[in-house]
Amino acid sequence: MSMKKAFFPLRPERPKGGKLRLSSKLRSIQFLITVTFTTVAVLVAVIVSFMLYNKFAKTAEDNANLNMQQIIEQVNYNLELYVKGMRNIYEKAEEQISQTSSIDTPLLKERLSTLRETREDLVSVALFTPQGKLVLDVPSTTMRNNTQLGNQSWFTAPTRTSEISFSPPHIQNLFKNQYTWVVSMSKLVQYKENGVHKTGILLIDFNFRTIDELSKQVKLGKRGYAYILDPLGNIVYHPQQQLIYAGLKYENVEPVLEYAYRSYLDESTGEKRFITVRTLAQTGWKIVGVAYYDEIVTTKRDLNQFLAGFLAVVILGVIIASVLMSALIASPIRKLERTVKLVGEGDLNTPIDVSGTYEVEQLSKRFNLMLQRIRQLMDQIIYEQETKRKGELEVLQSQINPHFLYNTLNSVIRLAERGKTDEVVTMIQSLSKFFRISLSKGKNIITIQEELDHIRHYLVIQSFRFKNKFRFEITADEEVLPYQTIKLILQPIVENALYHGIEMMPDEGLISIQAKLKEGLIEISICDNGLGMSEEILNGILTGGSKSGGGSGVGVRNVNERIGLYFGREYGLSFESEIEEGTTVTITFPALINQEDPIDKEGGTPE
Amino acid sequence: MKKVRFGLTLLLCIALWVTVTSCFSATPTYIGKSSETRNIHMIVKMNRGEYWNTVKQGAEAAAKEFNVNLTFKAPNSESDVMDQIQMVEDSITAKADAIILAASSYMGLAQVVDKASYYKIPVISVDAEVGSARVTTYVGANSYEAGQKSAERLIKLLNGYGEIGIINFTNSSSHEEGESSSSMDIGARDADEREKGFLNYAARYPDVHVVQISYTNSEIKDAEDLTRLMLIKHPNLRGIATLNEIASQGAAKVIQNSELDNIKMVAFDSSPAMMELLQDGTVQAAVIQNPFSNGYLAVKHAVEVTEGLDVPDRVDTGTKLIDLENMLWPENQKLLFPFVR
Repeated sequence: MSMKKAFFPLRPERPKGGKLRLSSKLRSIQFLITVTFTTVAVLVAVIVSFMLYNKFAKTAEDNANLNMQQIIEQVNYNLELYVKGMRNIYEKAEEQISQTSSIDTPLLKERLSTLRETREDLVSVALFTPQGKLVLDVPSTTMRNNTQLGNQSWFTAPTRTSEISFSPPHIQNLFKNQYTWVVSMSKLVQYKENGVHKTGILLIDFNFRTIDELSKQVKLGKRGYAYILDPLGNIVYHPQQQLIYAGLKYENVEPVLEYAYRSYLDESTGEKRFITVRTLAQTGWKIVGVAYYDEIVTTKRDLNQFLAGFLAVVILGVIIASVLMSALIASPIRKLERTVKLVGEGDLNTPIDVSGTYEVEQLSKRFNLMLQRIRQLMDQIIYEQETKRKGELEVLQSQINPHFLYNTLNSVIRLAERGKTDEVVTMIQSLSKFFRISLSKGKNIITIQEELDHIRHYLVIQSFRFKNKFRFEITADEEVLPYQTIKLILQPIVENALYHGIEMMPDEGLISIQAKLKEGLIEISICDNGLGMSEEILNGILTGGSKSGGGSGVGVRNVNERIGLYFGREYGLSFESEIEEGTTVTITFPALINQEDPIDKEGGTPE
Repeated sequence: MKKVRFGLTLLLCIALWVTVTSCFSATPTYIGKSSETRNIHMIVKMNRGEYWNTVKQGAEAAAKEFNVNLTFKAPNSESDVMDQIQMVEDSITAKADAIILAASSYMGLAQVVDKASYYKIPVISVDAEVGSARVTTYVGANSYEAGQKSAERLIKLLNGYGEIGIINFTNSSSHEEGESSSSMDIGARDADEREKGFLNYAARYPDVHVVQISYTNSEIKDAEDLTRLMLIKHPNLRGIATLNEIASQGAAKVIQNSELDNIKMVAFDSSPAMMELLQDGTVQAAVIQNPFSNGYLAVKHAVEVTEGLDVPDRVDTGTKLIDLENMLWPENQKLLFPFVR
């Protein structure tokens, strides 16, 4: 019994300590799935987001940069066109002046006037002698005193180069009624005065109107702008020119002047700004685009916000999904666990009906089958134990059958009265040996030798009682004798043969017992030539249909049960019988020789 | 149990979100760009004249840059002290975020400035200070120094001797012709300071006599009359110093028309007309201020004050002496003609 307990612990041991409980919670499927899934998903989302962010941000930055460069390029182009136009005007004026026979003809003045009026950004056209004397001016105004011509770059430049020179932006102080910021174009030209060839300096001033218009439209983000520098670093155009002129703002032009064509990041004002420089071929002016980095980054920030929102949604979604998913997986398992716990606590009738994933359902189904099997086995064990107990009790009873003892002693007394001392001695000897083997120190298992001795003693005793009404012979192969057998299996059968087969027989009966080894099996046959049995009785013997009235009370069925329980159901008794011919009972069981069978020892403990 | 878990999950989400988002956005801050429009009231001495126009343009440039709703107010004349006081009162009633004031009278405006500060409206002085301790900051030139510069140049032009007449401006009606100032605090602070600077410098030269100080009421016509009177009264006059734009224009006109070549003149403040006179040789030199900067910086600092930033107590925008020789220097061109268009 206790061995079975070890195999089937009815109450599982309680887990010890709270710490174990907590860690078991952390190790739960749901937790693990949730955490793993979330971690992986979040990690992936974050990595992807960062990669996307970097990629997009870089693209946005590049695009902004490219865009800016294109805009500046466009301004550059427009300005180039403009300067070219101005050049053309200058050349036209020069042409007219050089073609006119005399510089003071009204026609020339008129032509130049017309030329000037075609462009509203032309301020004045004037011709000076190299000494600084005014020869011609359009429109005609009075020239001021103290013009300091010699200090002005437009006046000095033509003596150094034959190209049209563009002056830095300056205040034109030549003529009355105006102080205008202009850029001066000047060059040495030939003219005729009264038929005499002369050299003079032709000056054409233009104001910033067109340049402003061209540059003002440039929008590089909200705060970005473009400005124009002349080669010396003077600002030709700047959206905040007044502030710069007033010294309130500062533009870091030094790095700009070093390059003709460049894009770089400037941080001199404390703010990150992208600077793009292009240079006008004709005037050497530099168009400088300034874009604020954090405005380019506005796109980045939008991206940021989007990605942050996206991440939040993804993370939330993933967490919810993983919680749900893990719950879906874990809850049937938990339910199963709870049910199994109930079973473990002893309620074997708990039905297990868990729905969920396929695996869990299968598990639950298998578990149900197992439980069913366990229940069957339990029932069987209970039945077998009961039978065994009953059988053993019967055996115990048969060991000290008082009826048999009484009869035997009666026979002894009778023999003694008649003075048959020898018989008495034989009788008492047999009786004593009979009982010794019957008890056999309480062992359940004895050798076939002992069992055969036992039955011999029994038959000796009975033969005195039945007064030679029968004979008996016991034959056994030598090799059979040491094998094991359950004790007292022959006596009930022999008893049956005596009381039911031979006692009522008028002739002398014969009981022959044969034991032999046959293919690993012990075969003991008990033959009698008595009355025999009808088919019905024969069939009823093992199923318990008929019940023997007298005898030792240890039924044939009991023998069969015991053999079956001990050796297995396939072993036991078989009967052959014929009315008036006799009956043969054959006992078959495996040949076992092991003396130290644990079951034998178990059985040996008094019960 | 379920609720707790949900709460924990939510918490985790928020924590993650915060972590992720904090990696990104860092909002940049620069003044005037981030917050709402401010109402700044600018009250100057007069609604005419090149000088005040330039101040106004500077202020407007700053207003545009710093997202300011600028209200520009000025009386018709520099002597309209009462008008100006009323304008400050109006600005207080209108709950301006800041008031920029060029006080026509040092003491006359003091009380109303105190009142403004009582209503927690910061007041910024521009050009002319006001006699109140409540003024947050002063933006403008050092008038005393400007007066000294003027005197220095004029005395140099006169070779250190001769009679000098001064044409100043002030709103105080108590100043009568020929009197030297008796109660300085009633006049405009800048006018007084310039005069003081001039006189103190001139006092070093025993041969230099300031024979007359006339006060114009910001009309060119008036200045012309005063100049003529002065010339009649003092035929030996060798030099004239004028201490503001209107006075300069008036005096220069008289000198130009009367073709008095021997009279040297040092003018004050720049205007295209004045530059023409300077180039002509009518006026030998001019002390110029930075009206554009004054207007611009006044508004800029007003914005800073409303944003709770620290501003300097005094911002000196400087003065410069311009003559024929240096007027075409590139840096002076920019200063004299800040308007390119």
